[in-house]
Amino acid sequence: MTATSAPARSGPVTRSPGLAAARLLGLELRHNAMLWMMPVAIALFWFTAGRKIMATPPLWSLRAAGTQLSGVLAFASPVAGAAAWMGSRENRRRTTDLVSITARPRPGRLLAIWAATTCWALVAYLACVIVVYGVTAHQATWGGPLWWPAVVAAATLPALAALGLAAGSLLPGRFTAPVVAIGAFFVLALSTQLIQGSQSYWQISPIVTGAWDSPPDPEAGTFYAYVPDLPIAQVMFLTGLTAAVLGALALPTGSGLRSVRRSAVAITAAGLLAAGAAVTVTGTGRLDAHGMIAIPALHDAASDRPLRYTPVCGHTAIPVCLNPAYASYLPATEAALAPVLGQIAGLPGAPARISQAAATYQQGRGNGVGIRLAGSRISGAPPVFHMLLPIQLLGPVLTTPELVRQERSITGPSIVASVTGDGPGASQAQHAVTTALLMAAGAVPPHLPSPAAPTTSRSGPPPGAGSGDERYVVPPPGSPAYAAARRFAALPAAVRHGWLTQHLAALRAGRISLVQLP
Amino acid sequence: MTTGGTHAVPAVAAGSGAQQPARAPRPAVRLARLYATSRRVPAAVTAIVACALGLRIALAGHWDGYGALHLPLVFETAAATAIAATAASPLGEPERLTGRWLPWLRLAATLALTAVAIGALAAAGTGTHLAGGTLDAARNLAGIAGIGLLCAATISGGLAWIGPAAYLIPGAYALYTQWHHPALTTPWLWPGRPPHDLGAAVCAGLVFAAGAAVITVRGARDLAGEQA
Repeated sequence: MTATSAPARSGPVTRSPGLAAARLLGLELRHNAMLWMMPVAIALFWFTAGRKIMATPPLWSLRAAGTQLSGVLAFASPVAGAAAWMGSRENRRRTTDLVSITARPRPGRLLAIWAATTCWALVAYLACVIVVYGVTAHQATWGGPLWWPAVVAAATLPALAALGLAAGSLLPGRFTAPVVAIGAFFVLALSTQLIQGSQSYWQISPIVTGAWDSPPDPEAGTFYAYVPDLPIAQVMFLTGLTAAVLGALALPTGSGLRSVRRSAVAITAAGLLAAGAAVTVTGTGRLDAHGMIAIPALHDAASDRPLRYTPVCGHTAIPVCLNPAYASYLPATEAALAPVLGQIAGLPGAPARISQAAATYQQGRGNGVGIRLAGSRISGAPPVFHMLLPIQLLGPVLTTPELVRQERSITGPSIVASVTGDGPGASQAQHAVTTALLMAAGAVPPHLPSPAAPTTSRSGPPPGAGSGDERYVVPPPGSPAYAAARRFAALPAAVRHGWLTQHLAALRAGRISLVQLP
Repeated sequence: MTTGGTHAVPAVAAGSGAQQPARAPRPAVRLARLYATSRRVPAAVTAIVACALGLRIALAGHWDGYGALHLPLVFETAAATAIAATAASPLGEPERLTGRWLPWLRLAATLALTAVAIGALAAAGTGTHLAGGTLDAARNLAGIAGIGLLCAATISGGLAWIGPAAYLIPGAYALYTQWHHPALTTPWLWPGRPPHDLGAAVCAGLVFAAGAAVITVRGARDLAGEQA
């Protein structure tokens, strides 16, 4: 019998197997490649994600979603590559025969390598999460951290380490680690190409945080509770995948005792079942009205109830009130709307408050998502005007001047139109008065020709202004309505206000013509 | 060498009228073949061809804007990594001490593999909608291969993949920011620049030149006890 063909000793080499395992893990921790890859992974995270995440508004939903997506992509290649490199170590150092006669069976040695790689990867990732969440906690005005997105990314790292380790140990070679590192990025970054709608099995990919191809939903954790259905399925899938891969590593003959192999078979089967079940339930998901993916088998109906909050209100002539999570937008919103609100404050039928409302989401064709104001624009007595902030429309992140411009050109006309009764089918006088009030508020330049109207726009404010991206288009310069608007806007504010107070009811009823305007 | 092996060496007869033995391969060709074998150059060529085939197959599918932009970069990175992986030497110190032609062999292998990779990726993109075109692929591949060669010389031949694999992520991010401002416009992130951008081409060229020069002169760094 040669040394290499002798059966591996299965008994413990120390009195305490746990202590021996801890010593082995300590050795692996000291010699693991992931230790040296940690700075690379952290640098990649901060270079690609740090400034992007920190540039988003301080809303927990946006920051958490960004951390999940960027964390997975930044850590995928380093973790998978390092694990593959470590997995091929015995072959690379020509120690395969040497270690095969040691007391530790091969699955135990590989498990220690996986554990060490995962530990360092998690340490690096947690450092990034702590910084992002710490800064967000400092900046956020309301709400608390959303942990599920961070957990999904954290669960991805052991799975990547297991896959890399399996590739490195089963196919050792100089091309294995690079193929695994690049392949991990490729699979994660481009697998989402296969997502079509919210009922796609491919949403199991850990970089998916909600409706794919749409920016993260800011409603989660602000107006409605965060729905963790998709993250639960993703964690279930990743855990099952990790267990299946690690179990499969102990399956080959010569991997140890028969009992170890039986356990490995059970772990592999359980992992595959968990992963398969997670994929199956993910395919039953749907985009709910609040912009999150709801999976019936995992859904808790309690999370559909709106969150209770006390709005933060400003001090304009008509108060503007926002959800406290959006409190940082209040100064800009007030600056945008104050001139318009000053024109209509005190008029009969003017809203008593401008209040931010929740959006409602609807799955469109493919990955399209329709977003509009939930409920009517004006409700209650005294009337409250409901609006959406631009950030709720899933558009690009706006600077403060851009935000002010957008609010002034979309929400402002909509508020004025709600007072004058302007809209589709309104009279020329209503168009003229709306335009005049916007001119007086500085929302429409009084002496410049209007820009060329886009094909989808028309004169007068859009019916859903404030909930879409349609802009108000002034009557064409030279038209009677435009001339009347300029004339009315040129009146002293007190005269204009007095006339409106007296004639607004008739104007809204369409009984005022252009020539009757002062 | 055993004594039994010596009898197989044909004796060379002296004199002009003596019969010449069967012609052996030219030493230079043999040296190049041995070098290529020791560096797994055939495997690297296979990997590069596989990358080109993978790109060709992938381009036949339907990709959205992000996918169409990122897809070529991933395959370019993979091909560049294959080039860098050939820098590792399994022979180490003895080869460095005795290999007079070693620097030239390193340079020739690097240039030849880079040319093969560019040609293969260009062929893969012919007749398809390859984002950026051949010029973009050549620039990206050369620059990323340069990163890999620099890593091989400074870290280790076996770990040369770290640089290209790490660069892939900011490279892909630079492409992403072309749609999601603020865009990253530094020429050092050349994958995010247009194909005809001179600054990006210069940066990629400089990195490739530096990598090729360092690997030519010094070769890949060996880790003690590691088999390449």
